[in-house]
Amino acid sequence: MKWSQFFNTSIGKKLLVGATGLFLCSFVIVHLAGNFQLLYNDQGKAFNAYAAFMGHNSLIQFIAWGLKIVILLHAFIAIQLTFSNRAARPVKYAVSPGNQTSSWFSRQMAIMGSILFIFLIIHLANFWAKFHYGDMPTQTYAGFEEPLKDLYRVSQETFKQGWLVALYVIGMIGLSFHLIHGFKSACQTFGLNHKKYNGLINFIGVWLFGIAIPIGFAIIPVVIYFK
Amino acid sequence: MEHYNMNLTLKVWRQKNKNDQGRFETLQAKDISSEMSFLEMFDVVNEQLINDGKDPVAFDHDCREGICGSCSMHINGRAHGPWDGTTTCQLHMRAFNDGDTITVEPWRAGAFPVIKDLTVDRTAFDRIIEAGGYISVNTGNAQDANCLPVDKNDADLSFAAASCIGCGACVAACKNSSAMLFVSAKVSQLALLPQGHPEKQSRALNMVAQMDKEGFGSCTNTGACEAECPKEISLTNIARLNREFIGAGFSSEK
Repeated sequence: MKWSQFFNTSIGKKLLVGATGLFLCSFVIVHLAGNFQLLYNDQGKAFNAYAAFMGHNSLIQFIAWGLKIVILLHAFIAIQLTFSNRAARPVKYAVSPGNQTSSWFSRQMAIMGSILFIFLIIHLANFWAKFHYGDMPTQTYAGFEEPLKDLYRVSQETFKQGWLVALYVIGMIGLSFHLIHGFKSACQTFGLNHKKYNGLINFIGVWLFGIAIPIGFAIIPVVIYFK
Repeated sequence: MEHYNMNLTLKVWRQKNKNDQGRFETLQAKDISSEMSFLEMFDVVNEQLINDGKDPVAFDHDCREGICGSCSMHINGRAHGPWDGTTTCQLHMRAFNDGDTITVEPWRAGAFPVIKDLTVDRTAFDRIIEAGGYISVNTGNAQDANCLPVDKNDADLSFAAASCIGCGACVAACKNSSAMLFVSAKVSQLALLPQGHPEKQSRALNMVAQMDKEGFGSCTNTGACEAECPKEISLTNIARLNREFIGAGFSSEK
């Protein structure tokens, strides 16, 4: 089987969705670690210096564009699979088993993924587009020769709007529900299902990616709003 | 267990042939014993229909011992009904109460077209087996039983996978109509044994290719198949199929 055929099979496509998904899992960890600097009480010095580094380092920029391609690939193949999966049952059942035979989370991947995608567009418009292509306020800090783009202040102002804070929290609920099933599902697709490791995979999927990380993200706009 | 009789209302899918639209028909099942199997209940209903000069409900059945994989009813939203690890023929009427309404549908999947009423065409499974679910051996005398050593654990896992009866409940239960549990059981039972090794690459690749060609959906790891399988085939088999398929994809020379 040629690679072109391999990645056109159902399992081949799932492997691409799983691999891109796991890459995105690694991204959310790095992104959250950086974002926590928004909670420092230093007028944004640490965060803005970090943002300037991330925005100008060519290796980071290369990965950042790769990241956007990965997100589109993940969404595109997943949508394709979702439509072909729906088409595989032309006549639906009159009675469905609900949560008796499968978890609710495992059946909502496409819905949660769509919520995340909409969130992502708004999120990029809020910060990424402004940072790279918009008018940004600047701030001068001791120890830096050039004034830095003040993304910290933009975030403080953005999250004074209650409806945007609510939208970010909803986005993170979407992330939580997506990853509760997503992480362990990707492991299973790669053939990793072993009683020695299943407990760990489940723990990481549910508690780290499904609960801790989304709460970590969601807490930042909420804290800024009430500050 | 206390024996009791019950009267039931059945909402049964009736469809003349595969080109017919199909619709639900409401039938009454009277004086049904709690000791009857679900199929015996249908026998009683059909006898009444025949006496009334009506067309009996067509359904698949053969051994009625839970081992042939013929029976295939979706009962109140559950493949093979509400009991775990049970085929429809082994589902007994004590699972229901007097006055219950039971909805009975055929397996729903594009790859399993309805032939009539509750009978569906499952030859797609046969074509998947033909694509690679076999080993090639010389005819003649059988080898000595122990000339090929097999690890006991592997033998047990292989046997557990081989208990798949190919009923199609996994496809029926899956929201994507995926046949992965079936294919993974058939790949696993051979991949775990030395006799299955020579053809393991082509088996995984060809059976998956045929599965896709038949129009089954892809697996999203919801686990509904494992929950509904009358032989309780494990999801670990799907992980093994994925490993076999990835390995074959990487190294096969074809």
